Amino acid sequence: MKTIRNVVCPFCGSLCDDIEVDVEDNRVVKVRKGCAISVTKFTKYNEERIYKPRIDGREVSLEEAINEAVEILANAKYPALYGWSCTSTEAINIGIEIAELVGGVMDNTASVCHGPTILGEQDAGISTCTLGQVKNRAELIIYWGCNPAHAHPRHMARYSAASRGRFVKGRRERTVIVVDVRKTHTAKTADIFIQIKPNSDFELLTALRWAVKNGELEQEEIAGIPAEKIEELADMLISCRFGALFFGLGLTMSAGKARNIEAAVNLVRELNNYTKFVMVPMRGHFNVTGANEVMAWATGFPFAVDFSRGYPFYNPGDTTFVDVLTRGDCDAALIVASDPVSGFPAEAIRNLAKIPVITLDPHETLTTMISKVVIPTAVVGIEAEGSAYRMDAVPLRLKKLVEPPPGILSDEEVLKMILKKLKERVK
Amino acid sequence: MELLIKNGYVYDPINKINGEKMDIAVKDGKIVESVSSDAKVIDATNMLVMPGGVDIHSHIAGSKVNSGRILRPEDHYKDVKPRTAITRAEVGHTVPSTYTIGYRYARLGYTTVIEAASPPLKTRHTHEELNDIPLIDKSCYLVLDNNWIVLDYLSQGEIDKCAAFIGWIFKALKGYAIKIVNPGGVELWGWGKNVESLDDQVPPFDITPREIIRGLCKINKMLNLPHTIHLHTNNLGKPGNYRTTIETMDAVSDLADGKPNIHVTHVQFCGYGGDSWITLRSGAPEIAKYVNNHDHVTIDLGQVVFGDATTMTGDGPFQFILQNLTGNKWKNADVEAEGSAGIVPYKYKRKNFVNAVQWTIGLELALLIKDPWRVFLTTDHPNAGTFMKYPRVITWLMSKVAREKVLNKINRRAKKRSTLPSIDREYTFYEIAIVTRAATAKALNLANKGHLGVGADADIAIYNINPMEIDPSKEYKKVRRALKRAAYTIKGGEIIVKDGEIVKSFIGETFWVKPAIPEDLEKDMLREVSEKFKEYYTVSLENYIIGENELASSKPIAVKTNL
Amino acid sequence: MGEITLKPKVTFKVPIIAETITPDNFAGKPIEEIEKLEMWEGNRKTTLGDLFEAAGSSGEAPADTKIIIEGDVRKVRRIGYKMTDGQILIKGAVGMYLGEKMEGGKIIVEGDADSWVGAGMKGGQIEIKGNAGDYVGAPYRGDTKGMKKGTIIIHGNAGNEVGCWMRGGTIIVKGNAGLFPGIHMKKGTILVEGDCAGRCGAMMKGGKIAILGYVPSVLPSFTFEEIKKSFKVKGEKIKGPFYLFTGDLNENGAGKLYVSIEKNKHLQFYEKYLE
Repeated sequence: MKTIRNVVCPFCGSLCDDIEVDVEDNRVVKVRKGCAISVTKFTKYNEERIYKPRIDGREVSLEEAINEAVEILANAKYPALYGWSCTSTEAINIGIEIAELVGGVMDNTASVCHGPTILGEQDAGISTCTLGQVKNRAELIIYWGCNPAHAHPRHMARYSAASRGRFVKGRRERTVIVVDVRKTHTAKTADIFIQIKPNSDFELLTALRWAVKNGELEQEEIAGIPAEKIEELADMLISCRFGALFFGLGLTMSAGKARNIEAAVNLVRELNNYTKFVMVPMRGHFNVTGANEVMAWATGFPFAVDFSRGYPFYNPGDTTFVDVLTRGDCDAALIVASDPVSGFPAEAIRNLAKIPVITLDPHETLTTMISKVVIPTAVVGIEAEGSAYRMDAVPLRLKKLVEPPPGILSDEEVLKMILKKLKERVK
Repeated sequence: MELLIKNGYVYDPINKINGEKMDIAVKDGKIVESVSSDAKVIDATNMLVMPGGVDIHSHIAGSKVNSGRILRPEDHYKDVKPRTAITRAEVGHTVPSTYTIGYRYARLGYTTVIEAASPPLKTRHTHEELNDIPLIDKSCYLVLDNNWIVLDYLSQGEIDKCAAFIGWIFKALKGYAIKIVNPGGVELWGWGKNVESLDDQVPPFDITPREIIRGLCKINKMLNLPHTIHLHTNNLGKPGNYRTTIETMDAVSDLADGKPNIHVTHVQFCGYGGDSWITLRSGAPEIAKYVNNHDHVTIDLGQVVFGDATTMTGDGPFQFILQNLTGNKWKNADVEAEGSAGIVPYKYKRKNFVNAVQWTIGLELALLIKDPWRVFLTTDHPNAGTFMKYPRVITWLMSKVAREKVLNKINRRAKKRSTLPSIDREYTFYEIAIVTRAATAKALNLANKGHLGVGADADIAIYNINPMEIDPSKEYKKVRRALKRAAYTIKGGEIIVKDGEIVKSFIGETFWVKPAIPEDLEKDMLREVSEKFKEYYTVSLENYIIGENELASSKPIAVKTNL
Repeated sequence: MGEITLKPKVTFKVPIIAETITPDNFAGKPIEEIEKLEMWEGNRKTTLGDLFEAAGSSGEAPADTKIIIEGDVRKVRRIGYKMTDGQILIKGAVGMYLGEKMEGGKIIVEGDADSWVGAGMKGGQIEIKGNAGDYVGAPYRGDTKGMKKGTIIIHGNAGNEVGCWMRGGTIIVKGNAGLFPGIHMKKGTILVEGDCAGRCGAMMKGGKIAILGYVPSVLPSFTFEEIKKSFKVKGEKIKGPFYLFTGDLNENGAGKLYVSIEKNKHLQFYEKYLE
């Protein structure tokens, strides 16, 4: 039996890197320090595995599957390459080269999650920091439209509300505010819970900024909150020594989306005229940030990149995968490390089912079930190593703890094989 | 693989060759005495031959640069080039993609570029991007001056342990030199504050910027690192800051021992006289006077070029001020226990008084400082302009007429207050070769770069311009055109550019320093550092370290320290 | 007037980039040359003649060239790109970026139009008889230069962010508008005759917006000024009365927002600020 320390957990954007794993007979037998989700990932990753490549449901060799994938991609006039958030940065990088070569449109799951955060940033910027800065200095923490108690279970203890840093030593030295439409588990642990009327975050953020600027709130109630309460809140924000705002889908996916983020950015920027304030997005998947980073350094744009004319073109709403699918624009798809069928709108899925789909995934999912070509791959962070970026863009190295099942390669290796054959096929 | 470059006019200042007609022989990636008759011949008759350019300060890779890319999609839309069989698609103007950066530098005849500021915690990201920049050899400086462990040790007087820590960081993270950015100021930015003088306190560390700079200067000598400390001053961007710059240079003058011990970067941004934006004037004459009289200092220009730019520095508080001044979008990204970064789009306009004054400062510095071996050509890409404009800046140095042409278009009041119109000096090709390759390679102590002597790396630039016939003072447009698109760029003995087009692509080397630290000292230091890590950081020490296999092509340089 | 009629040869599946369909590109050219104009079908570079049947003859100059497009061109993008004069009539639904950066001339669409109608328009006229998508007149992400001049009329409904980053010109939506009309507006006029989902004029610095229908609320960073009797658009007076707000004060904006009093009784409480 072998104990591996400082393992990076390949599940959520918290990317905790202190996990300890006992490995025996090429299996993970014990996990220490991880949250419940982490333990499940490390111990149950062999459930619902796919062990052999498939074309149209029948088992084929890896070479056959790759050849079929290459044909589909080479012949397509507008192939889409999607997913990417649950694999290594190296794999995504190969995907970008493939997308460029076949003149397709490449997008990652940010477009259904924190894409609006990126859009808000592109219009207004952002004041952010790495998580340790919050741990060390933040005495006021706001969780807005996110529920770390469920979605990022160790976040509060490792990085935020209950963390122990150099200048702020634990929960008691902090004030925690939760803004949400209902009283979540995170809200139950807060000092102040603001129950906001659904879909009115933009109004509340606007009002807060205006109050911070000593503006008069002419409405008695905004977003379901009395004006005086908003002014009190503004005072708290101004008078803290270091404030941090964490936000999630409650803000990015409620009415206004990117504009909600922009309003938050503007509020935080305004606060920096009086004190120190930052905001950090609660990224979901463990390497969606990495997908954004590598796509940006290789193409200039963090997601939704169209290569159809040989150079990168970006315009969310046009080049984002959900929209491409909903319009029925793409005639083939390569899905890597993602399961869009289980989450996308019905019209989009109907169109996905009409075209040839190639999926790379370790596990059986709704997406693999409608795919023409399925190539099983190794579980990154357990059976394959690679680079991943935390929600605050800190880059870490995922470890290989055990060998993958026989014949199963990593996403990176399979994509390299596809790229090699495509280079012979496409000029 | 053998090459013979025949009949070119060679400028190789490190070997004192000044426009001599001579052949250059290349074999297996190195300059050699001679080659066989099988060698491929490049006819460089009537052409100018120089070593490949060595850019000592440019923002080309890492989280800050990428933040700039993500922040500015509008920067990319108009500047695109479809992929070819040899090159990936190119995109971006002031914040281009990694591939674009490599190709563009190669087309200019540059073969070595250093990323000017990498935050240690995110240096893995820097390397991942450097891995994807084709053709050039590269490295990165590590920002260490607002690092909590460094500040702890320095303020406690534990300089040996501090040196051991810094030596260890270079081994762990694979960087090249100590970068200092607004020492003390960026730590205070963690509370939204800043410093204003070299002797301000930086609570709770009980240390001043002066002490940080001196401490790191001493450590640099103890570690015997190949480059000096590389420093971005306090008070950058503030009217009147030339005084801080001179004070900073002077702060380590007593520690010098005959050769340079401090490099102050993008001095244009810290060369302001006056006391407000209204009374702004150039502080270049004062700084030049100091540099002329003190040979322990080297500088680079940070020359402004009118047009689009993206400001990006590790100077968090300065970037916030710039954001307030311009109202432009602003990204700030603090790095725990280490520093910060800020990005603000900017446009330099000829008719804008401040921008016009800024434009004169870089040129004044270059023309008033007498020793070309201590002043290097940069635009602090992309802060003052893009590196694509280096040929244009070169013509401003070589041609008074070219300067006058611009002077006649800039804000008149700025022109009136500038000493630039009265300066006649014009750089020669020899001096240009110094400030763009020879001197920078020398300052970096890269023994095999920046020259064409036997044993050097075969990194060569050939430009289609006849230095014997052309008068660069009058025909500066021809000079600019020739320097924009190399006739040939050769990297490691391979022809990578022909007539300004990329003909071959591969990945160059990432070089880094590996200082030898005494085992016991390192063990003691790491024991303490491990404990600090748990409190200060949110990653484990083990995961902080970057494996050599993470570099696509690693070239470690062993350094014997004085520890 | 020279007239060229285009009919799609097939049902388009992947996006078609048709920047070359402009009176400027057609004027003075015989059909054979027009058929050779470059087009993209997804990642395949092709010609107009490969995708469309073309008939008729163009005028000598753009000003006397009319292009009529019949059939389903929902997937066809950038028709009218940078045109300076002449006319385009689309007898059905049309794809994105219609009339992007156009400088003059007139485009009429009998069906619906997809998003980014008149993106960054600099002059001319666009009329959509059906509905329009999001971002009418808006530039691409990160760009701050929106519609500068010209007129866009949407007879049906428009989506979100009508007139985003607008710096001149007029947009009229006869139906309803989505969220954020006039967001980041600097100059120009937006009239919404139907209802509006809200957040009018967010981050605006100048220009004026009028909503004749229902709007759920006004942003808290707008201040109530007074009651106005009418609102002027393109020289025409539209009768109110209106509540007039100025904002966006978070941006030190001096934009004007007119909201119909009759359709917005829930905003009556603002009247307490009347002097």
